[in-house]
Amino acid sequence: MLARAQIWWTIFTMCVAERLAYRGDFVLGTTMRFLPMITQIFLWTAVFASSGNGTMVGFTRNDIVAYYLLTMVARAFSSMPGLASGIAGQIRNGEIKKFLIQPIDLIGFSLLARMGHKLVYYGVAIGPFAFVFWLCRDYFPGWPPGEYMAAFLLSLVLSFLLGFFLEASLGLAGFWTLEISSLLFVYMLFNFFFSGHMFPLEILPEPWRTWVGWMPLKYLAYFPAAVFLQKIPADQLWQEMVLMAAWTLFFVFLSRRLMHAGFRRYSGYGG
Amino acid sequence: MKATLRNRSTMHRPNYLAVFWMFARNSLIRDMTFRANYIIEVVFGLSWALMNLGFYTLIYRLMYADGDGHANIAGWSQYEFFVFIATTILVNSFVEGFFMANAEELSELTRTGGLDFALLKPIDTQFLVSLQRINWSAIPKLLLALALLAYSIPRIEGLTLHPIQFLLYPLYVIMGTLILYSVMIGLAATSIWLGRNQSLYDFWFYITNFSRYPMEIYEGSFGSPLRFVFTYLIPILVVINVPAATLAKPLSATNWPLAGFAVIATIGSLAISRWIFQRALASYRSASS
Amino acid sequence: MIGVRVHLPALSPPLPAAYNLPPMSVIEIRGLKKSYRVYQKKEGLLASLSGLFHREYREVNAVKGIDLTVEKGEFVAFLGPNGAGKTTTLKLLSGVITPTAGEARVLGYVPWERENDYRRRFALVMGQKNQLWWDLPAQESFQLHQKIYGIDPASFKQTKDELVDLLGVGKLLAQPVRELSLGERMKMELIAALLHSPEVLFLDEPTIGLDVVAQHNIQKFLKHYQQVRGITILLTSHYMKDIAALCKRVVIIAGGEIVHDGSLDAVIDRFSDYKILTVDFADDRMPSDLARFGEVREIAPPRAKIEVDRNQIASVLTNVLSNYSILDVSVEDPPLEEVIASLFALTEKQQHESSDASIATAAANVAAAGKN
Repeated sequence: MLARAQIWWTIFTMCVAERLAYRGDFVLGTTMRFLPMITQIFLWTAVFASSGNGTMVGFTRNDIVAYYLLTMVARAFSSMPGLASGIAGQIRNGEIKKFLIQPIDLIGFSLLARMGHKLVYYGVAIGPFAFVFWLCRDYFPGWPPGEYMAAFLLSLVLSFLLGFFLEASLGLAGFWTLEISSLLFVYMLFNFFFSGHMFPLEILPEPWRTWVGWMPLKYLAYFPAAVFLQKIPADQLWQEMVLMAAWTLFFVFLSRRLMHAGFRRYSGYGG
Repeated sequence: MKATLRNRSTMHRPNYLAVFWMFARNSLIRDMTFRANYIIEVVFGLSWALMNLGFYTLIYRLMYADGDGHANIAGWSQYEFFVFIATTILVNSFVEGFFMANAEELSELTRTGGLDFALLKPIDTQFLVSLQRINWSAIPKLLLALALLAYSIPRIEGLTLHPIQFLLYPLYVIMGTLILYSVMIGLAATSIWLGRNQSLYDFWFYITNFSRYPMEIYEGSFGSPLRFVFTYLIPILVVINVPAATLAKPLSATNWPLAGFAVIATIGSLAISRWIFQRALASYRSASS
Repeated sequence: MIGVRVHLPALSPPLPAAYNLPPMSVIEIRGLKKSYRVYQKKEGLLASLSGLFHREYREVNAVKGIDLTVEKGEFVAFLGPNGAGKTTTLKLLSGVITPTAGEARVLGYVPWERENDYRRRFALVMGQKNQLWWDLPAQESFQLHQKIYGIDPASFKQTKDELVDLLGVGKLLAQPVRELSLGERMKMELIAALLHSPEVLFLDEPTIGLDVVAQHNIQKFLKHYQQVRGITILLTSHYMKDIAALCKRVVIIAGGEIVHDGSLDAVIDRFSDYKILTVDFADDRMPSDLARFGEVREIAPPRAKIEVDRNQIASVLTNVLSNYSILDVSVEDPPLEEVIASLFALTEKQQHESSDASIATAAANVAAAGKN
């Protein structure tokens, strides 16, 4: 048990050290994430300027700015850059073999690595994040009540897990197809447009709005932000949380199934 | 085998146009060998453009529904804004088609030592490094932009166009492309000092993000200085605003001085970025073998 | 294109050929030095974090002051261990990097000014590094070459055909470079380098990683090409075979300095301090005290091999011959590889001792400067 924990700690610190290796990268990257917010604020101000009553689909201009800032937080948890393509790449060039003999499995290792990266990145980035949020505090309608706050925090954790296992499943499809990049690219397009990353999902006109409501993508960006801003009616709140947890579990199981099936298939080829 | 002592009589200055044509040709051959990739890039680029278009269509739809019929973003009505978007896509297709792949590759070249080989060639290094990889997958985007222009221009109320605008528009588009190129190559050149830097590439992306919106949205105590900086210091607001206004809002009086400034901005950007590039080469360290 | 001239160190114009001056050597190097900083990365989480704000570095003196003259038509080898400065020197002579101090001229040009006229007259080939387009057939890269060097089509075709013929790669021209074997790729690289008929050729480990047959082919080609064309070639290599086969003159570089400049045979004379004495004893009885003559290398009765100090070989020989019954005896130089290997080991040891000193200086510099 202790040995296990030691292994995990070593892997964790290795990933951290690797991340810190290029320091110029690091400091620049964290601050630059917020530049697009500036244009968003100006853009939406201009859009709302021509609106009659200052709201659009239930959002005021301030709401929208707060929304975008919150989706940045949500995406800080749920976005997994390079995860799927990394796994697919490891499958393609045979690095996967080492997981067959090491005391830690592919998904576990990737999860730890991801956690390590995110912890370090946001451990340092929390400074600029907090600063920007403080600067923009006037855009926020205030802290949500206890129940919504709890749901918000829980949804962030779930969005990390959901994002991770969803992308891991995509990457594991690399056991069966080489054209993983097309798959990923389709996913990215859908993700950008339908996760709430690009705009609040209320903007979508009707048949789309309902369909997107059923897809897991909205939990990656839209949902946590909407919870914080109390755009989700109280009676639906925990329904949605359960649904989110269900999707997460679904992808946990899917990825494990895919991994085992994939390894079976892989060793069938003689490696 | 003949032994030749002096061979300089059989060599001369390269014909830069012929070399460029070779770059284009070789890139095409290469793109066609990786056809699946090419198609993905085309579809990706087009989807991106269409998504943006879709987004703004939704916004304008909502503005019409909520407002009093004069929906506009900072004075740009829907089809005027579409002309703006089309110009964005157009400039983007030029930048991506000619320069993007090369700028990305510059840091790879530096890392692997491939830049050594570029420095051996008797040709201007900046030319070589900026244009050797032409990205033909940008062409469909170009066509989309032109189609969008053709669709939107007739729908702008009260717009009459003179032939001179059809001449000025492509000129300003080219100037805008060159300004973006200068920013790009200036940043890429610093990768020769800093080594691997994804964040520098992100920086370019974030900076040019400002250029994708009408400059009129930048107003107020924070907006006006921002507008000033990005017009006169790092002239990216000039890139799309000037050509788009030339076509969609030609009678706007504030535009003409700006259009003149665009010429100065282009020349200045090119000069400064070249200076940065030369300095970077002068202190080149080369990867260890 | 808008051009902006940048002022570079150590500038002097090339001397016009019309003047009545003694003919210039093709390559002249005086006091060439190149050092650069290498940033230290430390182990451990905390150290990595502190690395965000403050970095330590040490000065690497890759080239410590080289003087060299090469005449037209010479085929010179640079021999030296890894990190000795051979590749750095070639890169300095190609103008790829600029020196910290010193001067060099190739064909009268200062290489790091990177004049197009100079670049048209020399070529650099680096082993295991490709300048050809990876996904395209070699012939497309050759065509691009023609345009860039502005070679007129007729001579281009002739030169290309000759080279392709000599190296026997005609059938491979239409294949993408990535599909070729390492040896075939190297041949293509050589062709690309020679298409513009350079007067000076720099080769950096051209046969590294190749199998014996490929190495041999390339050596044959280089020898032939150099003899017929009379060009000046600088070759760096690890491999004795390359050097022995091709070059009369060997420059041994170790620790950034030249330690020998002359023939290979001279290396042994100069650097080995022992000879190898091989003795076949007549009886099965082998003397047990051979160690007093020198270090015993091998005992395989009835034969013994002993390392004997040069200065004592005569007396040892007399001793052995008079005291024992001998069937056969021979005295040989140690193998060349051994001599060179021990030479490298020696200079590496010296380098470590001096680099400890320079780390101490660098640390003091960092402390004094207070920031990077």
